[in-house]
Amino acid sequence: MTGTLAIVGFGLSTIGPGTATGLIFAAYISGVARQPEARSILQPIAFLGFALAEALALFGLVLAFVLK
Amino acid sequence: MAMNDDAAFWSILAYLISGLVFWGGAGALGDHFLGTHFLLIVGLVLGIGSSFWLIWLRFLKS
Amino acid sequence: MRGLWIQANPGFVPPSSADFDFQPIFGDSILFTKPVLLVFLSVILAGSFFTLSARKAAIVPSKLQFAGESIYTFIRNELGRDVIGPEFMRFVPFLFSLFIFILTNNVFGIVPLLQFPTMSHIGFPIGVTIFSYVTYHYVAIKKHGLGKYVKDICFMPGIPKPVYLILTPVELLTYLVTRPLTLSMRLFANMFAGHLLLLVFTLGGEYLLTSGLILKFLSLFSFSFAIGLSFFELGIQALQAYIFTLLTALYIAGALADEH
Repeated sequence: MTGTLAIVGFGLSTIGPGTATGLIFAAYISGVARQPEARSILQPIAFLGFALAEALALFGLVLAFVLK
Repeated sequence: MAMNDDAAFWSILAYLISGLVFWGGAGALGDHFLGTHFLLIVGLVLGIGSSFWLIWLRFLKS
Repeated sequence: MRGLWIQANPGFVPPSSADFDFQPIFGDSILFTKPVLLVFLSVILAGSFFTLSARKAAIVPSKLQFAGESIYTFIRNELGRDVIGPEFMRFVPFLFSLFIFILTNNVFGIVPLLQFPTMSHIGFPIGVTIFSYVTYHYVAIKKHGLGKYVKDICFMPGIPKPVYLILTPVELLTYLVTRPLTLSMRLFANMFAGHLLLLVFTLGGEYLLTSGLILKFLSLFSFSFAIGLSFFELGIQALQAYIFTLLTALYIAGALADEH
C-alpha cells in the first residue's frame, strides 16, 4: 500500500466536526419546525456554531497538506 | 438578517477556506523564504481570526 | 480441497482515478473522448425531449407535454419566483438549461452502457460554473455600477481602518475564487466519489466471480449492493443538479439585492 498517513489523520479529524455539524443543524431544524418565527434568532446562533465546528475540519485539511 | 440557509452555509464555508488559504499561504511562503518555522502557525491563526470576523460582520451582526 | 472453495485470485486491482481516463475515439485527438461525446449526447437528448414535449402543446396536455411542463414549472416556481423575486423571469431560461444540462449529464452515471457521469471530470463543472459566475457578477455590476460593487465587496462598514488590510484580501478571495470553486468542487466531488463507489462494488463482484466457489456466491451480494447503490446515486445526482441551480439562483438574488 502506498499513500500518506496525513490523509488518514485528516479523515480522523473530520469525525468530530461532522458529528458536531449534524447535531447543530438537527437542533436548528427542530427549533425552526417547532417555532417558525424564531428562525431569525436561531439562524445566527446555528451558523456561528457551524463556523466554529467547521474551522476544526479545515484546520485538519490544511495541516494534512502542510505538515510533512 | 435571516438570509437563505443554503447561501449562508456555503458562504461561511467559503469564508473559512479563503481566510485559511490566504493568510496560511502567506505564512507558509514566509517560512519558506525566511527559513523560520512559526510564521505558518501565526498565519493560520490570523486567517481563521479574519474569517470569523468577516462571518460575524456578514451574518451575525444586526 | 478447502483451498478450492475459498481460493482467491491474487491481483485484485482496486479502481483508481486512472479509471476516469479514456482513449480518444477518433485517432489521436485528445479533444474527443467519451465525456465529450456524452455532453453532445446530453444536449441532443434534452433538446429533442423538450422540443417534442412543447411542439404539440394543447390545453389538455399529453403525457410528454405534462412531463416537460412539470419540470419547467418546478424550476420557475421553486427556484425562480421564490428565490430571485420580482425580476425572476429574465433568469428562468438560464436556470432551466443549467438544471437540465447538469441533471442529464449526472444521470448518465447510472444509465446502462453509458455509465459515466460527465461531471466527474473537473473541467465540466468548472465550465458550467463559469457561466453562473459571469452571470451573477454581471448582474451585480449592471445593477450597482462597477465602483459601488467593488467598494461593497472590499470595504464593509463598521470596522476600524487598519483592519481592512487584513480582511479585504480574504473578502476578495472569497468573492472571486472560493465561492465559485466550492460550487464546482461539490458537484465534481459528489460525482467522482459516486462513480468510484459503484466501480468498487462492480469490479469487486466481477473479481469474486473468478475466485473459489464460496466467494462466487458472495459476489451476488456485491452485485446487488451495486444495484442498490445505483438508485442511491440517482438521488444524489438529482440533488446535486438541484443544489447547483439553487445556489446559482441564490447568488443572482444576492447580486440583485440592494446591499450584500
